[in-house]
Amino acid sequence: MLHSYSPRLQLSSSIILWYDCIVVNAVRTKILNFIIFGASMIAVVAGLKAMNWVPSALQEGLLRRYSSIEEVKERLKLSRIYAPAYYPQCLKWPPVTIAAQKRPYTAVVMEFVQKEMTDVCLVISQTELGRRPPEEKIVLSTVRQSVRYRLKGRDMLLEVGSCKDNAQCSRISWEEDGYRIVVSSRSTPVDLVRIAESMIPPAD
Amino acid sequence: MDVSGFFNTFLGNYITQVFVHSLITALIVDGSITAWKVENPESRLHMRLMVIILPVLLHPLYQMMNPDRGSVWFRLDALFDTHRWLYMDLWEGFGGWAVFLLFVLFTSFVFLFQELIPVLRHSFVSREAAIVGEPPQEGSPVFLALNGLPKDKADVLVVDDNDLVLFSSTGSRPAIIVSTGLAEFLTTDELRAAIAHEMGHISASKRPMLVALFLLRVFQFYNPVALMEFRRIVQEEEKICDDYAVSVTNDPGALKDALLKFIGPPDDAADMGLKERLVEYSHRALIESRIWRLENWSGNAERGNRAAFVFAAVAALVINYFVV
Repeated sequence: MLHSYSPRLQLSSSIILWYDCIVVNAVRTKILNFIIFGASMIAVVAGLKAMNWVPSALQEGLLRRYSSIEEVKERLKLSRIYAPAYYPQCLKWPPVTIAAQKRPYTAVVMEFVQKEMTDVCLVISQTELGRRPPEEKIVLSTVRQSVRYRLKGRDMLLEVGSCKDNAQCSRISWEEDGYRIVVSSRSTPVDLVRIAESMIPPAD
Repeated sequence: MDVSGFFNTFLGNYITQVFVHSLITALIVDGSITAWKVENPESRLHMRLMVIILPVLLHPLYQMMNPDRGSVWFRLDALFDTHRWLYMDLWEGFGGWAVFLLFVLFTSFVFLFQELIPVLRHSFVSREAAIVGEPPQEGSPVFLALNGLPKDKADVLVVDDNDLVLFSSTGSRPAIIVSTGLAEFLTTDELRAAIAHEMGHISASKRPMLVALFLLRVFQFYNPVALMEFRRIVQEEEKICDDYAVSVTNDPGALKDALLKFIGPPDDAADMGLKERLVEYSHRALIESRIWRLENWSGNAERGNRAAFVFAAVAALVINYFVV
C-alpha cells in the first residue's frame, strides 16, 4: 500500500528541515565561535601570567610574598628586618602577609590581623630612605594630632587620627639605619608606641 | 639622577601601561576577528579602532575606579606587573627600564621622521600648490570611464602628465585627479574601477574621525603598537573603498586588473637601500592582499558583527584592569 503524504505534513517537514539546516547550524556556528574566542582569551591570560612569573624565576629581589621573616632574610640577604618584640595579645603572630623586594629598592611590608578576625589591624613597613613607602592598607585619612619626640635616641613622629571608615587609627614613623620605618594600627597610640619601642634595637 | 624612578611616577606608569594595554588589546582584537570570522573591512576597522582609542583612556579610568590599583598589594595579585620587567637587572646599574626607554625613544624617532614631518610637509605643500586640471573632454578615455559612475560624488579633473597619477582630495570641494598617462595606461573598465575606488574614499570620507585618530596616534608617538595598528586601519580603509568600487561597477575583475597593472613586476631590490626595500615590500604586500580579495570575491561580507565587537571590548576592559 502506498502512503501519500498530506500537504500539511509536507509543509511541516519542510519547516523542520529549514529550521534544522539554517537556524540550528547558525546557533552551532555561534557557539563554536564563542568557544574559540574564549579559548583565545584564556591563552592571552595564561601568556600574561607566564610573562609575569618569568622575572621572579630569573632573578631574586622583585616584589613577592614570603611565608616568614626568616625566608625574607635568607632570600634577599637582608641583615636586618625590624619586627616587634612586643605586640598586644589580641594580635595574631606571625604576620598574615609579608611582602618584600630589593629591586628597585629595598622594602618590606608586614600585615597583622587580630585573632579570630581577618581585617588587617597593624601594618609595619621598612623602606629604603628617600624612596616612597609602599601604600598601606591602614591609611590615616584625617590626622587630628601630630607629635614629635625622642625615643631611644630616635626622632619619632606620632600621628593620631582616623581611617577612611572613621575608626581610630594611629601611625608612628622614624629613621633606622638607612630605612624609614612606619608602623600603622587601628588602635590607640599607647600600644603603638610600645610596639615601636620594641622594634628599636638596643644600643651597641 | 635616578632615571629608573621615572617609571614609578604617574607619567611613567601611564606611558608603560599605554604600551602594554595597546599590545594586549591588539591581541584580543585579532583573536576576536579570527574567532568570529569577521571579514567585513568596516567591521574590522571599527574593532581596530579600539587598539588606538582604549589604551589612552584606560589607566586614568582605572585609577579613578580604584586609586589603590598601583599599590604593592594590587601588583602582587595582578595578571601582569610591568615593574617586574622594568626593574629586572640586566647589567651593571641598568634594568629592563633602560631597554624600554631606548625602545620608546627609537619609536619616537621613527614616528617623527617617518610620519609626522612628512605629513606636515605634505600638508604645507598641498596648501600652497593649486590643483590644475580640467574636466574630461567628451569622448576621452576618462569621459568614457565615468559612464555608470555616480556623477555627484566629486569633480573629476584630468591633468596633463605622463606619470600614473590618481588621487582624491576630500573636503568642501572633493575632487578626483587623473593623469593622461594613467588614462592611456588602463583600459576603460579598469579606469572606471580605479576612479570608483577613489569615489569610495570621498563617499566614506571620515575626515574628522581620521583627523581625531591621527591626533590620538600623535599623542602615542612612543607606542609602536599604535603605529602598526594605524597602518592596518588604513589598509581596512582601502578594502572598504574596494568594496564600494565593486558595488558600483559590479566588476571586481576590472579593479583587480588595474591593481595588477599598478603593482607591476617587483623593482630590482639590488638598486634599493634597506628603507626603500622595506617600503616597497610593505606597499606590494598591501596591494597583493587586495588583489587576492578581489580574485576570491564572493560578494560583500556581512556587516555589523556586534557580538565580536562587544566581546572584544569587554575582554579588553577586564583583562587590562589586571595589568599594571
